[in-house]
Amino acid sequence: MMLFSSDQFYIVTGASSGIGEQTALLLNELGASVVAIARNKVRLEHLKQKCKYPENMYIEVKDLTSEITEISSFIKSLCKKFGKFSGMAYCAGVSCVKPLQLVDYGVMQDAFNINYFVPMLMTKALLDRRNNKGNGTSLVFVSSLDAQICTRGQSVYSGTKAALSASVKAISKEVSGAGIRLNSVLPSMIKTQMTEDYSKLYNVSEELQKDKYPWGWGEPLDVANLIVFLLSDKSKFISGQNYIIDSGGVI
Amino acid sequence: MTINEFLNEMVDVLQTEEDLNMDTVLSSLAEWDSLSIMATMAFLEKNFNVKTTMKDFREMKTIGDIASKAGL
Repeated sequence: MMLFSSDQFYIVTGASSGIGEQTALLLNELGASVVAIARNKVRLEHLKQKCKYPENMYIEVKDLTSEITEISSFIKSLCKKFGKFSGMAYCAGVSCVKPLQLVDYGVMQDAFNINYFVPMLMTKALLDRRNNKGNGTSLVFVSSLDAQICTRGQSVYSGTKAALSASVKAISKEVSGAGIRLNSVLPSMIKTQMTEDYSKLYNVSEELQKDKYPWGWGEPLDVANLIVFLLSDKSKFISGQNYIIDSGGVI
Repeated sequence: MTINEFLNEMVDVLQTEEDLNMDTVLSSLAEWDSLSIMATMAFLEKNFNVKTTMKDFREMKTIGDIASKAGL
């Protein structure tokens, strides 16, 4: 089933691994054109090789935090190249597990840069009427369950994700008149490189969290399915929402 | 700021794809809504130190009216 057409261009950030990679692959498989952004060139090229329609997969090697104040001209240059965008899946992000005693301004800046400031500035640039297709445009942000359910050591990470989810709601009201939708998804533990690093460091495992997450940890594709649904017209009545996706752990 | 620079800035403020000139009628622009009025207010205050209210905008008909508010 083709849910999208190739004249619909979607930006996917964090596209070289995990949830971003699966989202890029799924969008591409369902007919959309994808502009996949990440830092790792080799992994992006690999993504282009393994996707279903390589002619509709465009890769952009870019560290989004490198020139934060230049994000709007970056988006403008992408629009020159690809035309107006139908939406974005913002999947880039870093984890930051530190008790408050180990937090300083620099730690917070690093986490907020990629988890909050960059998505906000990319959204601002994309919502410029000259850069998006207007009615039907949809933006989806990967937040985290930690935006709502907080654990020790996650003060900064929770802060970045809660900020993102809250702003998504406010922005959705600002642009509802233009028929543009924004939503965020709040996954629990998903089997990605990020959580693997985290679980090694803190000695948590799927087994140890069995009573918390009845079906274990999720797969990146589980989240990508929700993201792609929220990007598609199938969700045209949904905006400003924060969707928890966690195997029914938090009810 | 010259008139031309002002017009270029207004293209960005209104995020419009139309070419603007001093006679462009505001109500003819699809982009002219309450959010773009707020953006224009902020633009006038930041660049010309001119404070405006929504009421001022009800009386403005053209881009030229905004320019005169800016003192151009």
